[in-house]
Amino acid sequence: MSVPAIVAANPHAGLDGQISQLHECKPLAENEVRALCEKAREILIEESNVQPVKCPVTICGDVHGQFHDLAELFRIGGKTPDTNYCFLGDYVDRGYYSVETVTLLVALKVRYPDRITILRGNHESRQITQVYGFYDECLRKYGNANVWKIFTDLFDYFPLTALVENQIFCLHGGLSPSIDSLDHIRDLDRVQEVPHEGPMCDLLWSDPDDRCGWGISPRGAGYTFGQDISEQFNHNNSLKLVARAHQLVMEGYNWCHDHKVVTIFSAPNYCYRCGNMAAILEVDDNMGHTFIQFEPAPRRGEPDVTRRTPDYFL
Amino acid sequence: MSGLSRPPKPRGAPGKSNMGEASHTSTQELGHIEEDTITGDESSASPEAAESRATVAEALTKQADSRYGPLPWSNYFDEERDVEIAGTTDMFHVYSAGKEGPVLLCLHGGGYTGVSFATAAAHMKATCRVIAPDLRGHGRTRTSDDADLSAETLCEDTVRIFTTMFGDKKEDQPPVVLIGHSMGGAIAARTAALRKLPTLAALVVIDVVEGTAMSSLAFMQGVLAQRPSSFPSLDEAIRWAHRTSAVRNEESARVSVPSQMVRKENPERYEWRAQLKESEPHWAGWYQGLSDVFLAVPVPKLLLLAGTDRMDKPLTIGQMQGKFQMTIFKTAGHAIHEDEPEQFSETVLGFVSRHRIGQGALEISALKWGSKTLHR
Repeated sequence: MSVPAIVAANPHAGLDGQISQLHECKPLAENEVRALCEKAREILIEESNVQPVKCPVTICGDVHGQFHDLAELFRIGGKTPDTNYCFLGDYVDRGYYSVETVTLLVALKVRYPDRITILRGNHESRQITQVYGFYDECLRKYGNANVWKIFTDLFDYFPLTALVENQIFCLHGGLSPSIDSLDHIRDLDRVQEVPHEGPMCDLLWSDPDDRCGWGISPRGAGYTFGQDISEQFNHNNSLKLVARAHQLVMEGYNWCHDHKVVTIFSAPNYCYRCGNMAAILEVDDNMGHTFIQFEPAPRRGEPDVTRRTPDYFL
Repeated sequence: MSGLSRPPKPRGAPGKSNMGEASHTSTQELGHIEEDTITGDESSASPEAAESRATVAEALTKQADSRYGPLPWSNYFDEERDVEIAGTTDMFHVYSAGKEGPVLLCLHGGGYTGVSFATAAAHMKATCRVIAPDLRGHGRTRTSDDADLSAETLCEDTVRIFTTMFGDKKEDQPPVVLIGHSMGGAIAARTAALRKLPTLAALVVIDVVEGTAMSSLAFMQGVLAQRPSSFPSLDEAIRWAHRTSAVRNEESARVSVPSQMVRKENPERYEWRAQLKESEPHWAGWYQGLSDVFLAVPVPKLLLLAGTDRMDKPLTIGQMQGKFQMTIFKTAGHAIHEDEPEQFSETVLGFVSRHRIGQGALEISALKWGSKTLHR
């Protein structure tokens, strides 16, 4: 979208125009994405691995390229900057509009840096996006991989975790047996591709479990952690709650570990086939919390989910 | 191609091959020679012409040999043996490789054989024992009822093969990972669910998902009908499998395809060993309810798929809840382990090692706080 000739009245007119365009699910041009991500990098590089966040704030889980459901989320939760947001990662892959989704969130971050926090999920990675759709979508929409490269380079700067009023610890996956304090997280060098193992990997991949202690994660990366682990971590770090995403929960949110951990998932009817509700968590001025559930946005003209019949299946 | 009327075998052609396969090669690759070679009528041609055709045939045969010639299973497996099931006349032909480590019991897909795992076995045998039987009705296995490919019977066979080889006492049995491709994947998951293998340590399923398999079954008779019913030579069968991308890896096709064929005489030809068209009554029983069976199996699970579009609803939910590991092989076809044996083996061995299968005490060095033991 071209920048209007007269912009003196509003120094953000160009960016506001881009945000309006993105709200209509229309992607930006490659050079606009490049300029936007350059600005975003300057902002994100200054953020902490444990980025402080003030209340009130609305915490959101996985979106996975389901742009119309993100639009529904903003209709229900309020627009930025009227509502502050903390997103827990996994903006891309699986859905059909990863490009529009992640571009909009990054544009909002550049426009309102203190109003929205965008953490890194395990899908904000070069390797995963080449398998699960974002790479192919970039090729399809731009004819080359430049935009994929620009975004995946930017993902390296996304903060790993956030901390709401020193009480609610927000991250995509979960705890790590290598990390027992927030200071350990602050010390990590996060500007890199998501590693296959180690503390940074665990934060983006781990899951809470009914069993106590640490377990090998069935996913192939990260660990499972029990209630004893969550209690100890929260106690050691004077936390009230771990708010995380990463797992599909049919109601959109799910308490576990005696309310020490909550899972939030914000992609309704995930992959256009799972039939789950989505939810967001509103934390008010007094740190009180309210979950808001929502269903898939009405949509038309979305690509068909039917799959090609394989040639041989015996 | 089975319908081609082939000229008599020319003088000088190598015994292993014949004019038919050479001429067939020419129909695909050397269009201008084709007419002369394939329709040549020996009786009306001069001896010189026949001689010249024979030379062409020889040259083409050598070409075919070099590219699509069969490779022996013994290049990959250490041994083959017949496992006789006590109290029955059933005799299962089993290929194996490797001397120590956990057992990887590999179940092939419908129409394939144990040799389907040959190229992968070569990559895995250093640390694991790869055991790959020809299932009932397939390869060189002979049973009292080769037509009974019901899920129940195939699962029972799998348990009997394992206990015959390793004993039926838990103390004697090594840890076992069930690995299955397509039909074999369904049998692996269902066998795991039977809980008759007390040392079962993990489950690996290769490119089969209930939702997509069930919706494909309606097309399977059509797919089978499009296969040539026989080939003039093994090279031709290999060539067909590779050219149609049934197996994308040439080397795998050269070792695995011959094991799927049986030789017939008068005229010499090679037909499919497994009677797949007749197995249709059993297809739904392999796949119906498979996703729930897979998710309920209480051991670590690895699902290998040749594309993300293979997933159905229960598996998408299960995967997104972190219930199993999934690895996508974007450039492989349906027979992932044959198409990309090295990457397949690396993934399986990584999975086996990650879950410390066949290892003793669990490492705790990674656990810097919290509990000091790691549960599986």
